[in-house]
Amino acid sequence: MKKYLIAYSIALQETLQRRSTLIMDRLGGFAVVISLYSFWIALIGDKSSFLGYSRSEMLTYVLLLNILRSFVFAGRGWQLVGEISSGRISSYLVRPISYHGYALSLDLAQKSVHLVSAILEVSLLAALVRGQLFIPADPATWLLFTASVVVSSLLFFFLEFLVSSLAFWTSESGGPLFCFELFLQFAAGAFFPLDVLPEGLRRALEITPFPYMVYFPIRLFLQKITPAQALHLLTLETAWLFAVAAAALFVWRRGVRSYAAEGG
Amino acid sequence: MAAAIETRELVKDYRSPLKEPGLWGGVKSLFHREYKDTRAVDGVSFRIDEGELVGFLGPNGAGKTTTLKMLSGLLTPTSGRATALGFTPWNREPSFQRSISLVMGQRSQLWWEIPAYETLRLNQAIYGLSEAEFRSHLDELVDLLELREHLFVPVKKLSLGQRMRAELAAALLHRPRLLLLDEPTIGLDVVMQKKVREFIKAYNARYGATIMLTSHNMTDVVELCRRVIVIDKGRILYDGSLDRLVESHADYKILRARFSKAVDATGLETIGKIVKIGAFDVTLEIPRARMAAGATALLSSYPVADLNVEDVAIDDIIRRLFTRS
Repeated sequence: MKKYLIAYSIALQETLQRRSTLIMDRLGGFAVVISLYSFWIALIGDKSSFLGYSRSEMLTYVLLLNILRSFVFAGRGWQLVGEISSGRISSYLVRPISYHGYALSLDLAQKSVHLVSAILEVSLLAALVRGQLFIPADPATWLLFTASVVVSSLLFFFLEFLVSSLAFWTSESGGPLFCFELFLQFAAGAFFPLDVLPEGLRRALEITPFPYMVYFPIRLFLQKITPAQALHLLTLETAWLFAVAAAALFVWRRGVRSYAAEGG
Repeated sequence: MAAAIETRELVKDYRSPLKEPGLWGGVKSLFHREYKDTRAVDGVSFRIDEGELVGFLGPNGAGKTTTLKMLSGLLTPTSGRATALGFTPWNREPSFQRSISLVMGQRSQLWWEIPAYETLRLNQAIYGLSEAEFRSHLDELVDLLELREHLFVPVKKLSLGQRMRAELAAALLHRPRLLLLDEPTIGLDVVMQKKVREFIKAYNARYGATIMLTSHNMTDVVELCRRVIVIDKGRILYDGSLDRLVESHADYKILRARFSKAVDATGLETIGKIVKIGAFDVTLEIPRARMAAGATALLSSYPVADLNVEDVAIDDIIRRLFTRS
């Protein structure tokens, strides 16, 4: 266990060391939040609600979006792709450490930094626009929300791991990862609430694991779903997590075997 | 003595996709790909005893690195067997991994943005070293590698030589009993090469660790290894002592002479094979048995100002071995 804690602490140091990358990253995210916010405010106009979201719910959606993007979607898939294609992965494969545990520690470090930074940004923005935020009073909502975010993060980790592992077979797996990340953000509701989409498309997306990652936790937070529904969805999400994790581990093992067979 | 490494008929084939040239070739390869099998290692058998320091020589693509990768467990062989420290390497058992280290001169395990000390800390945890072990191992490595002031500087700020030494420290922190070094001195200047060599020698002597190293740098091999395994095109060409390799493959010596006056070259070829000639100097290859006679003949018939007899450079012997193969 200690090795993963140390990996976490090293990754934390490294993320903080790369200050300019971090700042650019955060500025980019912040710009997205501001544009989303302005966009929604313009759409709502004088109306009291839009697509079933009140003004304060919409503001909360957008701000929470920033936090969830920063936390759930913070990862090091690109690093994995790089390490596989450059062969640097070898140095882990000959050491007694689980690469998954190691990669998860690294992701957690990334998530910690981005979470803190997102909370600061969101507080700043909330203070600037002086809007009314929707804060649930019910502790059960908070509990379910936290649980769903934890499961979402793990789901993202294994999904990204799965896609990045393609690097074992193709030298161009940066492409799939890029497409995956874009599609993921769209399908997870990280650009806009999925309510915007036509009914059919939304339903189609709801049978994929993606909406569980952002759309679901936010709706849960905004109490748009009942606790019973939330529990049901959380169970489904957990089932997805196990399925994706199993697939990711399977593909990884195949990948390592083919790496071992083809050379690195 | 117990065997640290034993391989029997190791074979490794690589499979690489064939790509037709041009854009059309690229499109076609999306749908149908042909593969080419290349045999990188072709039936290699050898045994290395514990505590031996063996040089693994061969031109690029000879199969050296592939063999080291199989012995470290990174690659699974196509066929054949190997044991290292009693384990089958490619099963990657943690207790095996805790006893070995693979250092590839062109690859780094150090974290780039932060000081090497942090990677060492990580390795302490990975290999499960106690605080006391960590301290004592690190102190020794830092002394042997003259690394003290470089440990706390971000790795990216280190020179290549400093980084390589930090790399060695990270690789040896857990005191591996088997050390596989792939080009440990690549890219280093002469002074650094010497330091790294001295370190490898000292590590081998102090801990009785088994070391197998590949290098293109013959000085590494001559100074470190009494035994060499020469490999080319995946096959072993020679396995034995370096001295015997020199004796059996270089049955001649090199004689260099400088003259006080310009000389007429005719007649020199009766003394030995002319390798290089100028108006004031000549380099000859002379069979060992005829060296004394050759030198006498040269001294008596030519205005020799200076005369030197040398062994054939090991590089040349190896090169000849390869061309013969």
